[in-house]
Amino acid sequence: MRRRTAALALGTAAAMVLTGCSTMSPGESGTVTLNMVESLTNPARTDLLEELIADFEEKNPKVKVNLVSPPTEQADQKLQQMLQSGSGVDVLEVRDITVGPWSNNGWLYDMKKDLAGWKGWDALTDNAVAASEDDKGRTYFVPYGFYGLSLFHRTDLIKEAGFDKPPATWEELLEQASKIHDPSSRRYGYAFRGGANAHSNATAAIEAYVADRIDPANGYLLKDGKTIFSAPEALDAMEMYLKLFKQASPKSSVAWGYPEMVEGFSNGSTAFLLQDPEVIATVSESKSLDANQWSTAPLMAGPSGKTVQPLATAGWGVAEGSKHKAEAVKLVQFLSEGEASTRFTKGNSLVPILKAAAEDDFYRSGPWASYVTMTENPDTYLVVTQPRGVAWWTEWQQRADTDVQKMILGKLTPKELLAGWDAYWTEKWKK
Amino acid sequence: MSGTSTPTSGVTAAPSVRKEGAPPRGGTGGGRRRREFTTRRGLVVAAFMAPAAVFVALFTYYPMIAGSQMAFRNWNLTDLTDTSWVGFKNFREVFTDPAWGTVLGNTALWVVGSIVPQLVIGFALALWLRRRFRLRGLYQALIFFPWAISGFLIGILFRWMFNSEFGVVNDLLQKAGLIDEPVAWLADPDTAMIAVLVANVWYGVTFFAIMILAALQSIPDELYEAAALDGAGKARTLFRITIPYIRVTLVLTVLLRVIWIFNFPDLIFGMTGGGPNDETHIVTTWMIKITQQGDYGKASALGLLVVAVLLVFAMFFLTATRERGGGRRGAGRGGKRGVRA
Repeated sequence: MRRRTAALALGTAAAMVLTGCSTMSPGESGTVTLNMVESLTNPARTDLLEELIADFEEKNPKVKVNLVSPPTEQADQKLQQMLQSGSGVDVLEVRDITVGPWSNNGWLYDMKKDLAGWKGWDALTDNAVAASEDDKGRTYFVPYGFYGLSLFHRTDLIKEAGFDKPPATWEELLEQASKIHDPSSRRYGYAFRGGANAHSNATAAIEAYVADRIDPANGYLLKDGKTIFSAPEALDAMEMYLKLFKQASPKSSVAWGYPEMVEGFSNGSTAFLLQDPEVIATVSESKSLDANQWSTAPLMAGPSGKTVQPLATAGWGVAEGSKHKAEAVKLVQFLSEGEASTRFTKGNSLVPILKAAAEDDFYRSGPWASYVTMTENPDTYLVVTQPRGVAWWTEWQQRADTDVQKMILGKLTPKELLAGWDAYWTEKWKK
Repeated sequence: MSGTSTPTSGVTAAPSVRKEGAPPRGGTGGGRRRREFTTRRGLVVAAFMAPAAVFVALFTYYPMIAGSQMAFRNWNLTDLTDTSWVGFKNFREVFTDPAWGTVLGNTALWVVGSIVPQLVIGFALALWLRRRFRLRGLYQALIFFPWAISGFLIGILFRWMFNSEFGVVNDLLQKAGLIDEPVAWLADPDTAMIAVLVANVWYGVTFFAIMILAALQSIPDELYEAAALDGAGKARTLFRITIPYIRVTLVLTVLLRVIWIFNFPDLIFGMTGGGPNDETHIVTTWMIKITQQGDYGKASALGLLVVAVLLVFAMFFLTATRERGGGRRGAGRGGKRGVRA
C-alpha cells in the first residue's frame, strides 16, 4: 500500500515536470508558429485582430499565428519581460514610446532590408513613411495608424451661449468654455485632463503657442535649439491653460484621466473635450447625446493661427530573438497594407496610414472630417515629430503629470513649472 | 469542552484549537505514543511534498533571489547596456527621495486607519451573525461577497462612486442634506486619503467577520449559560468570555491583515494612482510607479525594504503572542474568572 502511494506521488511529480516540457517540443514539420503580442489591448480590437490573422493564415497555410493579448495596463511590462528573456515573441506591437528603449536594448529587429522591395510603401501616407523610420533610418516598426487630437464639442451649447462656431484658437476655447461653465446646474465647460497623462494636453497648448518657432524634427525644441518651455509664449500658454481649469472646468478634474473625461462629455454635462478619434465611437453610442448635438473640430491654434498636431503612433514590429523573422515580416506587411489595414484603422477609429483613405466617405463625413481637414492643411496643422522615443519618456510623463497637478492645486506657478521642465530637458539632452 | 472550564486541561484541547487557525504549540502529544519514523515513511512524505516544494522553489524563491540582486545593480529597463553593481546606491536614492516621508506616513495611516475600523466593524458583524435568525445563511453570503472581488476592480468602482460630479457618494450626501455642494473627493490629497480608507474598510471588514465568526462558533454555549446564571451583563460577557476565548484568532487575524494591507497597492492604484500630486502613495504603489519608470533597481531595493520590515514585524508579533501563552488556556482562565466574578 505504502509503496503504491509513494509511486503515485512520484508519478504525479514526474507528470507535472513532463507536461511542463511538452510545450517546448517542435510542431508538425514545415509549419511555423508565430507568437504575436499586442499592447493596447481591448476585447473588440482583439476580435478584429483574430479575424485578420485568420485571413493571413488562410493565405499562408504553413504559418500559424498565436495571438497573446495581455491587459493593456501591464502589456508593455509583460512585453519587456518577454523580450528580456529573448524568446517567445515573434511579432509585437511597438509604440512610439517604447521603440527607443527597446531598440536600444537590442530587442527589436531592423526590418529595413526585408522591406526594401515592399510594394506597400507607395500606398502609405507621408506621415506613415516618416514614422516607420527612426533618426538613423532603421525600421523597427511599421505604424498601423495614428492617434491625433481634435476638439469634441457640443454644437447646441455653443449656440445657446451665443457663439456661431466652435473655437478655432485656445483663447476662443477659454472664452466659450467659461461662458458655458455653470457648476450649480451641473454644466461644465471643459473636460480638463488633470490625472494620468495630464502633461499631454498641457504640452499641446504650449506647442500651439510656439508653433511659429518650433523645430519640426523635435516638438520640444525651438528652431534656435532652446526648449519650447523656455519661450515667453509658453508662459502665455500655461497661464491660459490654468485659467481654463479655474474658470471652465469641474473641480474634481484635478484627478480626471481618460475615463472621466470621456464620461463627462458623453453624459452630456461637459461642453468641450480634447481627445483621440477613438472616442468618436464611444460618444456615438451615448444615450444622452443625439448625433446633431455634437461634432469635432480641428485642434485649436495658438496666437499665430497655427498649431501642432501631436500625433502619437504605434505599429507592428519583429523581435530580434525571433527564429522565424521571414514569416514575421510577412505578417507585418500583411497587416500594413490594403484591406487588413483599412479594416484595422476603421475598426479602431485611428487616423489611417493609407493615402486612399482620404477619398473614403467614411473619413470625409461627420466627426471624422476634422481629421481630414488637419491632414490636408499641413501648413496650419504642422506635423512635428514628438520626442516620445527617448529612453526617459515614462519618467518625464510621470514627473510632468505631477507638475500639472501641482500647478492646478496652486502648489506651483506656471513660471516655476516651465522653468522646471526647461531645466529637465536641457539637462537630459546635454548627456 | 472541559478544556475550557479548567485551566489545566487547556493543554489537551490544543489539537482542536489548531483547527480554528491557531498555531501549533509544543508538547501537544502529551502521553500519546508517536508513530515510528522509518526511512521508507520519510521517502513517502518526501515524495508527496516534492511537487509543491519544487514548484515553490522554482516559482517563488528563485525569482525572489534572482530579483533581489537587481537592488544592488544599475538595472534600468530603458537602458540595459550598463547593469553594473552599484552597492547601496538604489537604497540611498529611496531614502533621499523627497516623497519618502509622505510615502511612509501614508503607509502607516493606510495600515492603522484601515485595520482598526475593519476589526471593530468586522467584530460587530460577526457577533450579529452569530445569533440565529431567518435567512442568516443568505446574509452571511452577502456580507462575505466583497472578499471575492479583485482589489483593483474595487478601486475602479470606488473611483466612480467618489467622483465629484457623477458619483453616488456626493449625490447621497447632498440628498441627505449633509453637504451643500459636491466635495471633490479625489482631487484633494486629504479627502482622497479618506476615500481610499473608506473603500478599504468596506473591503476588509468581510475578512474579519469571516475569521471572527468561525472563532465565535467554537465558544461553547455552556460558558454563556454559566455567565448568565452568575449574572454577567452583555459587556462583561463580551470582555470576560468572548474576547479572551478567541484572542489567538484575533491576534493572528490582525497580524495577517497588517501584512496584507501593507502589501495591498491594488485599491489605491485603481482609485487614485497615488495622486493627486503623488500624495496618496503608500510604499507598494510607489514601488509600482518606479517600476513603470523602468527603474527595476530602485524598485527592487524598495521591495527588499518591504520584505525586511514585514519579516521583522512578523517575528516580533509571533514572539509576543507566544510569550503570553494565548489561546484557549488564557481564555479558559479569563472565562473562569469572568464567571466567578
